[in-house]
Amino acid sequence: MNLFKLFFSVSLLSLTVSGFTQTVGDSVKQLKVVEITTSRSGNFAIGNKSETLDSSLLDRYSAGNLAEVLTSESQLFIKSYGLGSLASSSFRGAGAEHTSVLWNGFNLQSPMNGQIDLSLIPSDFVNEVNLQYGGAGALWGSGAVGGTILMNNSGRFNRGTSVSMSTSFGSFGDMRQQAGVEISKKRVVSSLKLFNHDAKNNFPFINSAQYGNREQQQSNAELKEYGLLQENYFQINAHQKINTRFWYQFNNRNIPPSMTQNINAANQKDELYRATTEWQRTGDKLTILARIAYFDEGLRYVDSIIHLDARSRTKVTIAEAEARFSITKFDLVNIGINNTYSEAIDTSDYIVNPTQNRVSLFASYKLHSKNNNWNAVISGRQEFIKSKTIPFTPSLGIDVKVLKYFIVKANVAEHYHLPTLNELYWGQGGNPDLKAESGWSEELSLIHKHHYKGFSWELGGTVFNRNIDNWIIWLPNNYNIWTPENVLQVWSRGVEYKLNLSYSVRKFKVQLSGMYNYVLSTNEKAATANDASLNKQLIYVPIQNAQGNITVSWKGTVVSYTHVYTGYRYTSSDNLEYLKPYAIGNINIGQTFLLNTSKIKVFVQLNNVWEETYQVLAYRAMPLFNYQAGLAVYFNQPNKQK
Amino acid sequence: MKKNKLIYASILAFSITISGCKKDDPETPAEVTPSVSYSNGVFITNEGPYGTGTGTISFYSRSSGSVSANLFGAHNTYPLGNVVQSMEVFNSQGYIVVNNAGKVEVVDATSFNSQGAINNLVNPRYFLGINNSKGYVSQWGSGATGEVKVIDLATKAVTATINTGNGAEGMVKSGNNVYVACSGGYVTDSVVTVINTATDAVVTNITVGANPSSIKMDANGKIWVICGGEWNGTITALLKTGRLVRIDPTTNTVDFSLPFSSTTSSPSHLVINNTGTTLYYMYNGGVYSQSATSASLNATLVINRSFYGLGIDPTNNYFYGSDPGNFSSNGKVIRYNAAATVLDSFNVGLIPGNFCFQ
Repeated sequence: MNLFKLFFSVSLLSLTVSGFTQTVGDSVKQLKVVEITTSRSGNFAIGNKSETLDSSLLDRYSAGNLAEVLTSESQLFIKSYGLGSLASSSFRGAGAEHTSVLWNGFNLQSPMNGQIDLSLIPSDFVNEVNLQYGGAGALWGSGAVGGTILMNNSGRFNRGTSVSMSTSFGSFGDMRQQAGVEISKKRVVSSLKLFNHDAKNNFPFINSAQYGNREQQQSNAELKEYGLLQENYFQINAHQKINTRFWYQFNNRNIPPSMTQNINAANQKDELYRATTEWQRTGDKLTILARIAYFDEGLRYVDSIIHLDARSRTKVTIAEAEARFSITKFDLVNIGINNTYSEAIDTSDYIVNPTQNRVSLFASYKLHSKNNNWNAVISGRQEFIKSKTIPFTPSLGIDVKVLKYFIVKANVAEHYHLPTLNELYWGQGGNPDLKAESGWSEELSLIHKHHYKGFSWELGGTVFNRNIDNWIIWLPNNYNIWTPENVLQVWSRGVEYKLNLSYSVRKFKVQLSGMYNYVLSTNEKAATANDASLNKQLIYVPIQNAQGNITVSWKGTVVSYTHVYTGYRYTSSDNLEYLKPYAIGNINIGQTFLLNTSKIKVFVQLNNVWEETYQVLAYRAMPLFNYQAGLAVYFNQPNKQK
Repeated sequence: MKKNKLIYASILAFSITISGCKKDDPETPAEVTPSVSYSNGVFITNEGPYGTGTGTISFYSRSSGSVSANLFGAHNTYPLGNVVQSMEVFNSQGYIVVNNAGKVEVVDATSFNSQGAINNLVNPRYFLGINNSKGYVSQWGSGATGEVKVIDLATKAVTATINTGNGAEGMVKSGNNVYVACSGGYVTDSVVTVINTATDAVVTNITVGANPSSIKMDANGKIWVICGGEWNGTITALLKTGRLVRIDPTTNTVDFSLPFSSTTSSPSHLVINNTGTTLYYMYNGGVYSQSATSASLNATLVINRSFYGLGIDPTNNYFYGSDPGNFSSNGKVIRYNAAATVLDSFNVGLIPGNFCFQ
């Protein structure tokens, strides 16, 4: 029972490591944990605050996208342009390009603008999402400044053959169909997932920026998207595993006007191909991992009103290798190399289509006590790009169990964000001399965990501090050409609290959770003479936000209510203009019927039940009450026992 | 348990300390004191953030030197809309051109109360009053050419469309004709379109330099137009340099065309003093002057600073230059007297672009 032992020690470790684990009874959890052993995050992300959104939580949002999940279930601020529109994330008051988004270890941030649209990631395409707060340049490289979103897929062996299908419909012409098939043998897992989503998004709203009749319907907001995810996992022998993944997706969205714009005829099409493979060899002394990814992503934005037809396409190849070994019983070493080659093709935005090759070397050294009461990790990364100086980024993290029920975590790390291809080479104003944005972040967390009879609780508080120097902004130069410069210096600091309570007796379970953030993120350097943004909060960074959730489950029924509060956000950098706070309540009801190894699930998602009129971005309309309802069926034929 | 309490208490104490550092609620900006009437002063059009915000109008009172912010928002129940391009006062009505929202908001010029809007425009730029019942709005449009929309001022409806060169921009009226500088819009062009205001028909297209943007008439009735030149595809150098061109409206021909030398600076923002004898424009990081009687480029530096917007007060020939700062916070207007000596400056809204003197 070697595997069992491994699982046991690992789950223990993951309990210590992940500060806030949301667990709603899930039968597949055990096998998933085994995957975590080999991940860099599980082993070396020490001292940072982290949150895990597991498969059962993601399952509640199976008919949605990652932006919707994170808006309701995380402490991130999701900057959404509206229903089905562009959504980016902000960790602790940093920018969208300061969130590193990793899919099974591969960075998905666009080399052109350093961002990723989270509304384009279907939540049922990932099995688990891990949010790591804080800078982590040493572990994750460029972009891991505010925090890192780790999206993971995992194969589950020996589960037989299963077929799943689901369909949902909702307000404003929302229709989604999903299908999946999985063949899971002892040594091979192969699965295919498909989805199709159409929405009109023609929700009614009151246009407060309109003269005369203010009752309007959102226009030019139609959306069509479809995609597939194909995964294969092979257990070659007791020591070797290999997997491959292929993700294709096509999105066709019209871009709705803002309230102050009246009409818009813009359309955006995104098409992406992502292929990855990973091989790992686990030995008694040495574990080796090698992975390769190839991403081909294209975008076409057409606005007939202003005669704009902009295309862009990028190809990214990532190759990474890691070796992991122990010198003594109480340590673990990881060394690795990453090579990322990016090129922009078929775009009119550049004079010459740029290419970029980046090599980085990274290493971590972990020490832990015999009983895992404490873990300490020191890491470093050095990245190399031709004719650019990139700072060496070290980090130091520690997790300590104290007084039996407490965990103290501390982390100090340097972080950096390389200028994007747009910033460097944009045809009209690109600045090839830009330096990387960089700085330090520090954080300290205290977590209290305990359980008593049917009760269990967890309380956590984190204090953080972060500086980002050479923050890049675009300003017009002497010839009135907009050009990016390393000008601002942003200081962010704040506190974050989290509370989880749960009570379970037999098949009944109640969970309560709450989160609160207080974040100041201010510019400390004048970009121009008499810069009015000096010492002022960055725009669209809420100082306060809070979230509460209550989930009641009984047998196959799960009822969940989530309340999200977002505080004031400034819309001008002198902090004279702002948007009012809002609070959104959502209800999710799911009923699962089990029939042997098959199941049927009926679910209803009710959004904005208190009919709050709100704006995430100034003058971008958001819908009042809306819903989604759906049915999912899952058939499973277990493997025959030999 | 005592220890636990202590830790919670310290967390709480710490958070209160942090929270105490800054107020949660933003300070309410100073309320606008609605002046009884906005006469004897200068309207400043503030573009506002592109894409998702609203522009505003600020007012500078010549008599008191006071500045009122956000006039439209203060006197009406809705904001102006996205990207406020320009404003013109005609027959005591203010016509505010809101570019991205495709409309012209009409207000009473002294009370700033809304009088309705001219809608269904595409990328409108400037308004010009023709007579008591008719106005013109230049716009880039969405078709193959620029356009001038003919507006019935009573109903605020578009009654006709006149096709012009690409990117219809600045307009000036001379006798029965209106001269429209066609700035190129989404592409490029090099004509001034002449329109007969009685028939709303195009009289002719006069070829000037590349991409003419602003246009003025001098004391002798001559029409001056400044041409920005034509940039290469990446906007790093001018393929055709800028030009200052004079047109004789009696013959609709070019009197002379004066080329600028710079291949990296595009001249713009042509204004004229109240006697119609001296023109000013922005070029090469400064404000330059040109005598209306000179047939060669004077290129006399007047103010050694560039602005985002430039205006000249017809009552006293004072210069008004705007500075949008970092483009995401309130901008500034700097005043200079007729001798181009700095007088003072005042704060206005986000991205101040144009002036309208009342």
